[in-house]
Amino acid sequence: MPTDSEGRKRIVYCLGEERALRDVLPESEAAALVAAASRAGLRGVRVVDPGGKALWGNGDDVPPPGDGDPQRPILLEGEPAGRVVLPAGAAHGETQDALLALLAETLTAMAHNNLKRMLTTETHTEVVNLSYEELLGANRSLSASEQKYRELAETLEIKVRERTEELSHAMARLVQQEKMASVGQLAAGVAHEINNPLAFVTSNLQTLKKYTERFLDIIARYQRVFEQGGVAQQDRDDLRKHRETLRVDAISADVVDLLRQTLEGTERVRKIVADLKGFSHIDEEGEAPADMNREIDRTLSVMTHEIPEGAAIVREFSPLPVIQCRPGAFNQLFLGLLRNAFQARSEGLRLTIRTGVSGDRIRIAFADNGPGVPADIRTRIFDPFFTTRDVGKGKGLGLTVAYDIVTAHGGTIDVEDTPGGGATFVLQMPVRRGNHDQIRRPVPER
Amino acid sequence: MIEYDSEEQRMVLKFVYYGPALSGKTTNLLRLHDLLAKEGRGDLMVLDTKDDRTIFFDLLPFFLVAPGGLKIKVKVYTVPGQVQHDATRKAVLQRADGVAFIADSRRSEAKNNAESFGNLERNLSFVGIDIDKLPLVIQYNKRDLASIVPEEEVRRVWGPTGFPVVLSSALEGWGVVETFRTLAERVYDAMNSRHDFAGRHGLTRESFAERLVRRTG
Repeated sequence: MPTDSEGRKRIVYCLGEERALRDVLPESEAAALVAAASRAGLRGVRVVDPGGKALWGNGDDVPPPGDGDPQRPILLEGEPAGRVVLPAGAAHGETQDALLALLAETLTAMAHNNLKRMLTTETHTEVVNLSYEELLGANRSLSASEQKYRELAETLEIKVRERTEELSHAMARLVQQEKMASVGQLAAGVAHEINNPLAFVTSNLQTLKKYTERFLDIIARYQRVFEQGGVAQQDRDDLRKHRETLRVDAISADVVDLLRQTLEGTERVRKIVADLKGFSHIDEEGEAPADMNREIDRTLSVMTHEIPEGAAIVREFSPLPVIQCRPGAFNQLFLGLLRNAFQARSEGLRLTIRTGVSGDRIRIAFADNGPGVPADIRTRIFDPFFTTRDVGKGKGLGLTVAYDIVTAHGGTIDVEDTPGGGATFVLQMPVRRGNHDQIRRPVPER
Repeated sequence: MIEYDSEEQRMVLKFVYYGPALSGKTTNLLRLHDLLAKEGRGDLMVLDTKDDRTIFFDLLPFFLVAPGGLKIKVKVYTVPGQVQHDATRKAVLQRADGVAFIADSRRSEAKNNAESFGNLERNLSFVGIDIDKLPLVIQYNKRDLASIVPEEEVRRVWGPTGFPVVLSSALEGWGVVETFRTLAERVYDAMNSRHDFAGRHGLTRESFAERLVRRTG
């Protein structure tokens, strides 16, 4: 059996292969007919193949057929495929001739009909086989393409997973950058705040240095006069003149003020540093008990320079239970919300910070009188990279950071309208958390 | 088919009448059966048909003996033209020695002719026959009908292919024997170059064709 290019066995379909008389005339039919013809008057009649070999007929008691014997051809597809032969010496006449012709015609017709039936069956079988082969082929190629798509789907899944991982890493990096940037902005402001007192402390110290030189000068002169042992009138006049030249009386009066101011300046710097420390909770690792009122105050105190001029910050604080949390993270959160509020309106800003307890939750609301958040974008403002600012002005991660901090502490953050206009950001934090890792989606308040 | 048995001095050749459905393939064979002498050919075998449409094939066998003693059987087959019988067409086309493509001359059938010829090309390739080496004759049948493609157009389209084109009306009985004879001559040429019919078997092109197309009466 030949094989195709892929080594599979391949059926060769070829109809109408050559057949001999014996192939198309079954023994049972042919032998019976020849026997009947023999009884009917063709005694000793037989069928031989083209080579003269006897096929059917009782030829035992008669000699083999000779060329002169009466005979008729049996045709198969127009070709003489055999002969009916009446042996020499047999009864021979017109009747026998007619009978012999009839027998040959009958066998030819039988062969024709049998061949036709065989060809029909053969075609049918081969067409079925061929169709089956084609179906197998179709099935193979379908399986192959299915396999291909399955592989594609699998690698696609892996690729999607890889990209998702890359994206979430990039996202985490960006969120971290946002936090750093937010604190960086704060640091710039704080630096400015520290610079002010530092500048006048430095200036005061320069003045004090000059004053001290004069004090030392006059003290030296007194010393010299006293060591020379007398206080003559001329000495006294000299000393007075010198004191006047050095303006010792005036600078003596100024020194106290200078020192007081300087101490005030250093105290301001100390307080700023303390506020920063408190804000950042730099000494604390992980969670610590915190009073949210105090943390909001701390955050406000490091942001004084960011508060727009003329803004009214109204604290409506109710006493809050101390909650276990990462205070540094919360101050970061408050920083973001306060900054949003400060940027909501440059003139006439009124920010009301209201805290209280509602059931088992602490509720903190930052209500500004800015432009507010349109209803159609409220569901999206906490999404990463969502921003209403111009390209390059905001990454759209500020509220995402806020959302992450609140949900990490099992709380919710939401935005509402401030009565009379503006946005109110509402935080709700459980007083006690069942599970520290628990994260809930914010539930919109109605 | 080239079933050549040098010991038994026998050869079987296979001619296939191909073409679109209802183009007159069976009618061609019926006419050949009527027009050609009974001597040297078998009866037309029409395998089961349904509503007069061929579902398997028809077979008209011829038998001749070359002067050198080579017995040659020529089996002329038709294929079913209907699209759904493609598996049968492939089976019949297997190992064909020559093909007569019976086209329907009516304008409306141009598309079917083209599709059927495309099918012939594909199936020849499937059964491993090179169409460029296969003796092929094109017959434009049904020339007795109106609204047919004019002869000039047929010649213009098929001229460049080099395939001989015969115009016919199988219904009226003309062009049919010419088609068969043309195909026989082309097959002879192909066989002669491989088996030296003329030299070894004393069979000339003329006598081969004459033996096949011997007319009745």
